[in-house]
Amino acid sequence: MSAPSERGRPGLARIQYAATVRKEVLQTLRDRRIMFMLIAAPLIQTVIFGFAVDFDVDRVPTAVADHDRSDASRDHLRRLLADGTLLRGAEAASAEEAERMMDSGDAAAAVILPPRFGADLAAERLAEVQVVIDGTDPNRAAVASGAVSRYFGEVAQTMLRERLDRAGRAPPAAVAATPRVSYNPSLRTAPYVVPGILAMLLVIVTTIVTAMGLSREREVGTLEQVLVTPIRPLWLLAAKMTPFVVIGLFDVLLVLSVGTWLFDIPIRGPLPVLFLGTLLYLLSTLGVGLLISTASSNQQQSFLGGFLFALPAILLSGVMTPIRAMPEWLQAVTYLNPLRYFAELVRAILLKGAGLGDVAFQLAALLVFGAAILGLATARFHKRMA
Amino acid sequence: MKERLRRFVVRVGAMSAKEVLHIQRDPRTLYLALVMPVVLLLLFGYGVSFDLDRMPLAVADADRTRASRELVNAFVEPGEFALARELATPEEAGALFRRGKALAALVVPRDYERDLSRGDRVELQLLVDGADPVSANQVLSKADAIVRAVSQARAAAAGFVGQPPLQVDIWTRYNPEGRSAVFFVPGLAAYLMAIGAVLLTALTVAGEWERGSMEQLFASPVGRLEIILGKLLPYLALGMLQLLLVLGVGTTAFDVPVRGSPVLIFVLGLLFLVSMLGQGLLISVVTKNQLVATQAGALSSLIPSLLLSGMVFPIENMPLPLRMLSRVIPARYLVHGLRGTLLKGNGLAEVWTDLAALAVIGLLVLALATRRFKRRLA
Repeated sequence: MSAPSERGRPGLARIQYAATVRKEVLQTLRDRRIMFMLIAAPLIQTVIFGFAVDFDVDRVPTAVADHDRSDASRDHLRRLLADGTLLRGAEAASAEEAERMMDSGDAAAAVILPPRFGADLAAERLAEVQVVIDGTDPNRAAVASGAVSRYFGEVAQTMLRERLDRAGRAPPAAVAATPRVSYNPSLRTAPYVVPGILAMLLVIVTTIVTAMGLSREREVGTLEQVLVTPIRPLWLLAAKMTPFVVIGLFDVLLVLSVGTWLFDIPIRGPLPVLFLGTLLYLLSTLGVGLLISTASSNQQQSFLGGFLFALPAILLSGVMTPIRAMPEWLQAVTYLNPLRYFAELVRAILLKGAGLGDVAFQLAALLVFGAAILGLATARFHKRMA
Repeated sequence: MKERLRRFVVRVGAMSAKEVLHIQRDPRTLYLALVMPVVLLLLFGYGVSFDLDRMPLAVADADRTRASRELVNAFVEPGEFALARELATPEEAGALFRRGKALAALVVPRDYERDLSRGDRVELQLLVDGADPVSANQVLSKADAIVRAVSQARAAAAGFVGQPPLQVDIWTRYNPEGRSAVFFVPGLAAYLMAIGAVLLTALTVAGEWERGSMEQLFASPVGRLEIILGKLLPYLALGMLQLLLVLGVGTTAFDVPVRGSPVLIFVLGLLFLVSMLGQGLLISVVTKNQLVATQAGALSSLIPSLLLSGMVFPIENMPLPLRMLSRVIPARYLVHGLRGTLLKGNGLAEVWTDLAALAVIGLLVLALATRRFKRRLA
């Protein structure tokens, strides 16, 4: 029935679409609190993430029990604590006291030098160092024990070399590796984390907000009202999502500006490719939001559903921890996660200066997932509305 | 007096019953709130680890001798690295890095074998993809250890042995195997309870405003305080259920120890929930809109609980302003207290500071929320 009239007026769909977009934009702009959340929230999150997330563990609070109190023991303790990984905390009178400090959380490591430590070293007798580490946080424990063993390992090597020298023997052939770290030579965490934040933010802004917004319309009953107007459901959906695409792209710019300004994030690759990737990624996140809204009956459920999607998706994207550190079956699962491809793409473009050719695979994957998810969601939406 | 108390209890009970009915009528909320802890715990337990092996390594071997092949084997055979590709020139490494096909490239100079047999010091080059500092740090430390071992093996073969001058005994307490699940369970409990308590209460109370049913409730003989308590109690129960669930899955699936007193854990959880419920209430009263309440809740409780509680990233590592900020985050005290009781077997003597902090924050937030709630519509 409607087909001929639409053919007769090819601009009708466009007019309907434009009108709905106008309505959605007005509605979003009118609620200042929503605008605040869509703009201020990403900013605050970027700043907190950028400063709080630091994989480079240092300042591990360390209790020290020096039973020797010789020049040698004081000197070694000073040099051990000098590189900043371990932070000298309170003195412990005994090993037991150091353990109590660990119980209360005042210390996360303890170094105990026995009596006669300096004398043993000078006399070339085996000197023993005791180190106690709070293993609660495995990462911090590894860094702390690594720092201690590295320091005393070097002390031991220097002493061995001196002994060889005194014996008049030449040092043996040795292999040494000179590392050259590209992209992020000082291994700062922020350039790694901020691109990840982009991926996370877009899930929260687009998936959860879309899911809850549509649920709200269903709760209030306005969705049905709009559906009895001549606009076709597909155009209605497209119009509802358009503002979020724009806000998503705007948030990308926002995070990038804050990232480059506050955290010195480099932008080495082409920005148009990044925007293309963001658009394709938004297909997936908006699609998931739509899908969740069709499966929930109120906003509470939409929110929980959005979260139940977002958290695993973030964990399994490589944003927080390397994917290669996961067990193999879980690594296989990450290939089904659009976030993974987006995080890879953003990092490759920003940090490594990758171009269109380098990230073609990620772009293709995002396109496939986006089309599939959005298609499925639209079909379900149609069925529920019919 | 007694009669008034009885009426109070009846009204609060009625409000709670109404809220329970809401949840019961549509149990999907309940399922989601209870499935989430299990899914997250499994993911964190299995998925979150910083420890890498089989890191893809490209090799540019310009020497191609027996010694250089032995060197490459020393990298690949223990399983720390996996050979990704042989490169003709070191310059090819850049393209591999950009595509994510290799994390590092080892460059062996020409004349490696000859120089070594002469007793010279040979410099290898290790090109590292530094985009991911976690992986890069592991590449660096593992490569360093391997190269040291190769050097030592050559020195030993040449007859250079010496008694080590000192010995370091490292004893790791509480979590000697370094399992990440043990580390994450207390933090996850805090995070999940924050989601449940803050967001679900914020949403349910904001929902009453949105639908206009809050005014109807006010018109009923039920007092403001009774409405609040009645609405919060079911979510308090749900939060405790989540805590039990997290601890249950943690202890059975991941062998998380419970070394301290269960009563103490229970009290910690309860005090934490009170402050979180208060926060949820405050948000809903201020926003009166579910969409805005979600964002405000995520910003004020979820992200701080995740990032500033010490759940994943050590607090001492943060810059001073964030360290100060973390002092008003309830999750910080819960995580600290739970780690103490679960892993270290701490008792009241160590945990009382956490309990006190949670109680103070909880009372403050709840008082503030109740005052704002009373002023609304007055």
